[in-house]
Amino acid sequence: MSVHITTLDDRVRLRQDDSSPLSTQEYFVNMGPQHPSTHGVLRLVLKLDGETVREVIPVLGYIHRGIEKMGEHQSYRQFVHLSDRLDYLSALINNWAVSMTIEKAANIELNDRIQVIRTLMAELQRIQSHQLWWGVFGMDLGAFTPFLYGFRDREIIADIFEETVGARLTMNYIQPGGLMYDIHPGFVKRVKAFLQYFKPKLAEYETLLSGNVILQERLRGVGRMDGQTALSIGATGPVLRASGVPLDLRKSEAYGSYGKVAFDVVIGKNGDCWDRYWVRLEEMRQSMKIVEQLIDNIPEGKHMVMKPAVKIKLPEGCYYNQVETARGILGVYIVSDGKESPYRIHLRTPNFNNLWAITETAANWRLGDLVAILSSLDVVVPDIDR
Amino acid sequence: MMQATDKQENPTRSGLVTAPELKRHGFFRNVFSGIKSLLEGMKVTFHYLSHPSTVVTQQYPENRATLKMMERYRALLTMIHDENGLHKCTGCQICHDNCPNASINVVTRSNPVSGKKELDRYIWRMDSCTFCNLCVQVCPFGVLKMDGSFEGAVYDRRLFVFTLNHYAGPAAGLLAKVADPEERKKMIEPRDRYSGPVPLNGQELAGVKALKKAESGCCGGSGGCCSDSQGSQGSKEMK
Amino acid sequence: MTGITENIWQAKTVAQRAAEALPESVWFALGYMVLGVVGVAAFIAVLGMGLIYAERKIAGHFQCRLGPMRVGWHGIFQTVADTLKLLLKEDVVPAQADKFLHILAPLFTLLGTILVLAVLPMSPIVHVSDVNIGVVYVGAVSGFGVLGILLGGWSSNNKWSLLGAMRAGAQIISYEISATLALLVVVLFSGTLRLSEIVESQAAGWWIWRAHGVGIVAFLLFFIASLAEINRTPFDIPEGESELTAGFHTEYSGMRFAFFFLAEFINMFIVAALTATLFLGGWMPFHIGDFAGFNAIMDMIPPGLWFTGKTAFLVFLIMWFRWTFPRLRVDQLMRLEWKVLLPIGFANLIAAAVVVLFNFYFFPVR
Repeated sequence: MSVHITTLDDRVRLRQDDSSPLSTQEYFVNMGPQHPSTHGVLRLVLKLDGETVREVIPVLGYIHRGIEKMGEHQSYRQFVHLSDRLDYLSALINNWAVSMTIEKAANIELNDRIQVIRTLMAELQRIQSHQLWWGVFGMDLGAFTPFLYGFRDREIIADIFEETVGARLTMNYIQPGGLMYDIHPGFVKRVKAFLQYFKPKLAEYETLLSGNVILQERLRGVGRMDGQTALSIGATGPVLRASGVPLDLRKSEAYGSYGKVAFDVVIGKNGDCWDRYWVRLEEMRQSMKIVEQLIDNIPEGKHMVMKPAVKIKLPEGCYYNQVETARGILGVYIVSDGKESPYRIHLRTPNFNNLWAITETAANWRLGDLVAILSSLDVVVPDIDR
Repeated sequence: MMQATDKQENPTRSGLVTAPELKRHGFFRNVFSGIKSLLEGMKVTFHYLSHPSTVVTQQYPENRATLKMMERYRALLTMIHDENGLHKCTGCQICHDNCPNASINVVTRSNPVSGKKELDRYIWRMDSCTFCNLCVQVCPFGVLKMDGSFEGAVYDRRLFVFTLNHYAGPAAGLLAKVADPEERKKMIEPRDRYSGPVPLNGQELAGVKALKKAESGCCGGSGGCCSDSQGSQGSKEMK
Repeated sequence: MTGITENIWQAKTVAQRAAEALPESVWFALGYMVLGVVGVAAFIAVLGMGLIYAERKIAGHFQCRLGPMRVGWHGIFQTVADTLKLLLKEDVVPAQADKFLHILAPLFTLLGTILVLAVLPMSPIVHVSDVNIGVVYVGAVSGFGVLGILLGGWSSNNKWSLLGAMRAGAQIISYEISATLALLVVVLFSGTLRLSEIVESQAAGWWIWRAHGVGIVAFLLFFIASLAEINRTPFDIPEGESELTAGFHTEYSGMRFAFFFLAEFINMFIVAALTATLFLGGWMPFHIGDFAGFNAIMDMIPPGLWFTGKTAFLVFLIMWFRWTFPRLRVDQLMRLEWKVLLPIGFANLIAAAVVVLFNFYFFPVR
């Protein structure tokens, strides 16, 4: 079997059909790397027939920073702060993924306090990420107001983080062996205030956008992807669950404190944009449920089980670990040669695979639907390129 | 596909929430329910319009007086100096080694009097710093802290290179052992905020107001203040 | 009925005054004409700035923001500053663009709005010209707007612009039908095409409520179709910021962008004013049939204020829509027109004909 490699040049070569005077011509247009709804420097080459999208070719590499390569020159502890810059909307969860891999490889035992705080932080981060996504989703569909509502509510969680972590976006908080700081004395109060505040706001989200007939019409049946396709392209997270596959690592692997809390896995029925939209909204509710269960039960203990200056050396071998970020499974693969820095680090980022759903689902939908589908996949471009 | 069929058999299986299906009705019902949903949305936005107290905008430069950053907020790396203007840095370079992007350069010297290794310059490059806080964490002496003064914007990149220590010399503990004030004075040499390898003292930059001595925020009160040393420092660098 | 108002306010357009003054002094007549032209031009500039400021302020408060706050008290001079900035900006014309058409397009768009403004009866005396085919004229000249958009999108030589222009063309031409159908209802009711007479025909009550629901349906049809014609949310697909970057004016900057922008806002005013004129009585106070006492109280409020109030309310409604709703998709937009609005429009027109035939509205005049 020979492998035929198709380059972008091959694919954009037009076949012109002049057989009829009425024949129309398909054309190509670059959506991005500077485009308002690609959320960053993602470039999509679109093959259009009038308004109808025939083919989507994602072109990556505009924000490649070589994080994996940089990881080879950094100590394990230093690499954590780079993971903030993958999917910056779930920075804490990324920290956790890297830290957990290192801890498992180095056999570092953590106490319950660390696990519970990590879980709390991860869930707050998930809510925050979904809030921003909700706002941006509204904006992509032409409603500007949700964008600001989403940001307004996100700000409250950002304040919670700022108080405990000292940063609002790039956290570097969850570290191998524990947490950078213990939670701030005001943390519990703030989180409770947030829960109190956000519940009615979530109902408002539903009224403003979910109930809106225009939005429902724009989402229903658009960009349908069945579970089989979703699995075959390696989609994870809300994108996969919306296609009806109840895969959630928080449930199936129950890392952190997820084994001790009750929450539901949210799945969709049809795998269309509406399901992806609804799954995320409901996930916010489930995350709040988790936070509610944990916030009063933070056990006592130290926030760091090892000295921060101690150099970590992993025994020779390969280590893999994965967590569920707000967008799907983030896998961290470390090859260690026993030295202070990894021999090789590979990151299995959720957005890279989720983006491929656009090539499967966007064909034969309109340009406006393409925007909706892309937005419902909730891609964060720096996570795709690394 | 296992999971999917499984789900269809027991849609009510515990631990799963399924998205609701959107239903289409007849023509008129669609029109009326559609209009109703639009009106409900308008009610939400009107609520915010009619309640100016819900405005969350912060009028930033005006609210400077009341704006307080969280205590842990990471914005500016500073070296803690005690009330006598002394720091505890020994120049051990652990932070230097732990910095992921080489934003910290700890330059040491041997003391002119005792000949011991000590801190000469603690150079911090804000322009390449990612505020990961590792330096603060790893410091065995608690010398560093992240300050919340976030207004770091400047017109020249060179102003991002700071010398954090106010003096070159032994750490506070060692210095306390020296009884003779004359001896003490000899052991330390003042360091200015912008006297590092990218000097600004005494230089004019195009489009940048020359730094006033007070603005450079140097010297708590350690020995002779910058005034005389700056000149000599500047001229040394120039040569 | 019309007698009441005629006695109080002598309706007279600027054009009429010019015609009356002509036999006495040519200069006087010329003066009136200049007044009309300068008045419209100044009105556009001031109104445009006012509306942009209002939109930004209202949008801000819809979104828990404050809107402009810096330039002047509560940012009141923000639009002045922005206008100055736009005027001083470099005017970039893409190298591959059709330069002549590219420059012409914004002018066309603005021209359409100016021509409509000339026939709008804003009050009995603030009325530049009363054309006897007013309604038809309005429908015709507002088509200039789409010409400008099409030219702009075509001449920019940018695929996004072209897409936006094509969307605009399809959308505006489709919705023109519904708007006209709704307009015809009012023409049927009042029996005239002259805008000033349509206003006067509502002396016994506005058409929106006098015709047993037919008026309301026509009002909604006209309002929705007009929103689509001026590309406001939820029908802003020709601009479709998140889809087409900026649609037909992607390649415009500085002054020419300002023209498009200004035209958009003036159009919003025109739609509001026209809807008010046709369905809400224009400058006509709120009258109920023969209740002379009530009517007399209502007459105490000057007609200019009535007109401003109604228009301002409708403008606010348009802004409210924009800051609440998502945008429709291009095919849904067409479906809404051809499958929903158009059948309703036809049915409504027939219903209106029946209403007129049996003289079945409240307080029939004839």
